[in-house]
Amino acid sequence: MKTIYSGSPGRRNPLLKIYTLGLAFLCLALWTVPAASGEETSYTFDLSEIEKKPWHWGGYIEFKPVLFGLDRDAAFHKLRLYDDPQGDTLMEWNGRLQLEGSYETGMLRLYAKANTDLKETYSGFTERSAFYEAYATIKPSSSLKIDLGKKTSKWGKGYAWNPVAFADRPKDPDEPEAGMEGYIAVSADYIKSFDGPLKTFSFTPLLLPVYNHVNEDFGNRDKVNFAGKFYFLLYDTDIDLMFMTGGSRPDRYGIDFSRNITTNFEIHGEWAYLRHTRKTVLTAAGAPQQSESNARSWLVGIRHLTAFDLTTIIEYYHNGTGYNKDELTRYYDAVHNAYATYITTGSAAPLAAARRLADTGYGRFSAGKDYVYVRLIQKEPFDILYFTPALTAMINFHDKSASLTPEILYTGFTNWEIRLRTGFLMGSRGTEFGDKQNDCRVELRVGYYF
Amino acid sequence: MSITKAFFASLLSVLLLIAPAYALDGNKLLKEIDRNLNPESYELYRKLINIEPDGKKKEFTLFSIKKGTDKVAAVFLAPPSEKGRSTLRLGDNMWLNIPNVGKPIRITSLQSVVGGVFNNADILNLDYTSEYDVESVTETGGMYLLILKAKTKNVAYDRLKMWADKAKKIPTKIECRTEADMLIKTLYFKDVKDFGGGIVRPAVTETDSPLHKGYKSVMIAAQVKKRTFKDEVFTLTFMPNLESLR
Repeated sequence: MKTIYSGSPGRRNPLLKIYTLGLAFLCLALWTVPAASGEETSYTFDLSEIEKKPWHWGGYIEFKPVLFGLDRDAAFHKLRLYDDPQGDTLMEWNGRLQLEGSYETGMLRLYAKANTDLKETYSGFTERSAFYEAYATIKPSSSLKIDLGKKTSKWGKGYAWNPVAFADRPKDPDEPEAGMEGYIAVSADYIKSFDGPLKTFSFTPLLLPVYNHVNEDFGNRDKVNFAGKFYFLLYDTDIDLMFMTGGSRPDRYGIDFSRNITTNFEIHGEWAYLRHTRKTVLTAAGAPQQSESNARSWLVGIRHLTAFDLTTIIEYYHNGTGYNKDELTRYYDAVHNAYATYITTGSAAPLAAARRLADTGYGRFSAGKDYVYVRLIQKEPFDILYFTPALTAMINFHDKSASLTPEILYTGFTNWEIRLRTGFLMGSRGTEFGDKQNDCRVELRVGYYF
Repeated sequence: MSITKAFFASLLSVLLLIAPAYALDGNKLLKEIDRNLNPESYELYRKLINIEPDGKKKEFTLFSIKKGTDKVAAVFLAPPSEKGRSTLRLGDNMWLNIPNVGKPIRITSLQSVVGGVFNNADILNLDYTSEYDVESVTETGGMYLLILKAKTKNVAYDRLKMWADKAKKIPTKIECRTEADMLIKTLYFKDVKDFGGGIVRPAVTETDSPLHKGYKSVMIAAQVKKRTFKDEVFTLTFMPNLESLR
């Protein structure tokens, strides 16, 4: 196990601040007696509350301070902070504002969701605003719907990863439920229901153009990609078949499924086949080399609920385009060598080259080949309503490094969400989680919906 | 055959003939209770209130639709933190769609998407006749007491004890029990109201549970209307668009 941060008393102040802040919020949430009395109530439901208006707007605002306990000997610490060392801890202040609105008239609906992320950290203040979604929907009937604009497609059945989400950005397994930015596309949904073993069939074709200023981060430009998903509810099993072709990314095909074995036990899986996919690998000689191969990525998982409300999610993910143990270790060694060169000669060129490699693959989420993901969620233990502790573990199956994330969530105040989370990274040098920039982190997230 | 044997044989025959007739009446009665509670296909606005022992409340507003014996869907209209969440039930299959998370995920009948004492089976409830057989019916004062047994192991509660008003044929109280006859929760039906269109039914359903002492959940119906829907709206693909049916 990596040495967990133990800084000087002065350095620990931010950590204590976050803990204190988080615990104060949670204590307030859990123990504050509300003004409402426990007297017998007569219930009212005013019809004006359900009056449908053609327009709607709402939003979400979030405040999230994070304190990282840095691992000064880790490869990614050297790579990112070599010229601006930060001591043992690093404080980061995050803010998020999401605004959404819709307008509906007849068969037409317009919807937009704008997201602004604010970040204050050692390197200064950054702000990024983007429309996560902005699209028009035409729904001539309950069987047919056409969407035009920026939208997330959300394909796949996995919780932490979705290898078959061909038209989406990769999910962050650390925050799998976070909203994501979509791509500009034209898509349709055609639905047909039946009696018999096949209860539902639907087809979702999708056109995704990639040009300058239009989905330009998706892949090769000046292409129009065509993707599709066929969905079947067959013998009480959800089954999807999907494909994508067009040239911006290698052609790919996939299948997923989900089924309840019993009322409290679900199994799911995904399998994707990617043709002629390219990967940049650092060779033994220390040079980056691009290789091309057909890759298979897949995932199997379960979701189980006990009688005492413990939800267990377990997933095994094979990332066909990921790096194996030797490839990752070789890269981390190269970073350590590049840092040694920087220290002895002052030349940052090797580190810059290593950073470019990080951007092309080594530094992405789930860069390895095989992972096990376990999440345990205990709902409302000890009869504390809206209080949910959870524990998440993600293990790189090959190098046996891991991250462990305990958290507590309270949603007892209407429209408020308060989460206190810590994270510990474990692994020796040369392993994925052992060579991350941080050893641990403490994070408070306070969110308000309006 | 002696006279005594003949007498007991006759009595047994009469009892055997009567027993199915009672069972048949019970199932017919349950069907009437179902129809008095809701039309077979309908739309319904509901408010759910979770009340904690200290009086603290949390409210949710839902728009629900149902078709036939096995199709139910609901979408949350309020509060803002839940708005847009939708749930779908096709027989024993249940899904939850959270707009941010994206794809619908399978959920179970015993979980609760709102917390509190109501679980998903209570919120996405089918007709009682779809899930239960009547084991016995007895009459006590102005009430029927129906003992219901789940048709399959997939039903949330193995056994129900239902008290129903004899004149109105609507339930007043239901005890939900396990196979071992342990009480899980009690539902109380209150405030019978005329919703129009011939629908006269309880507007308020309260529930409490010995497993959650001091906690109470309440479901208030504001508008119930007969309405038919195409099967296609009860699909995973349609879930994100349920609100458009309002």
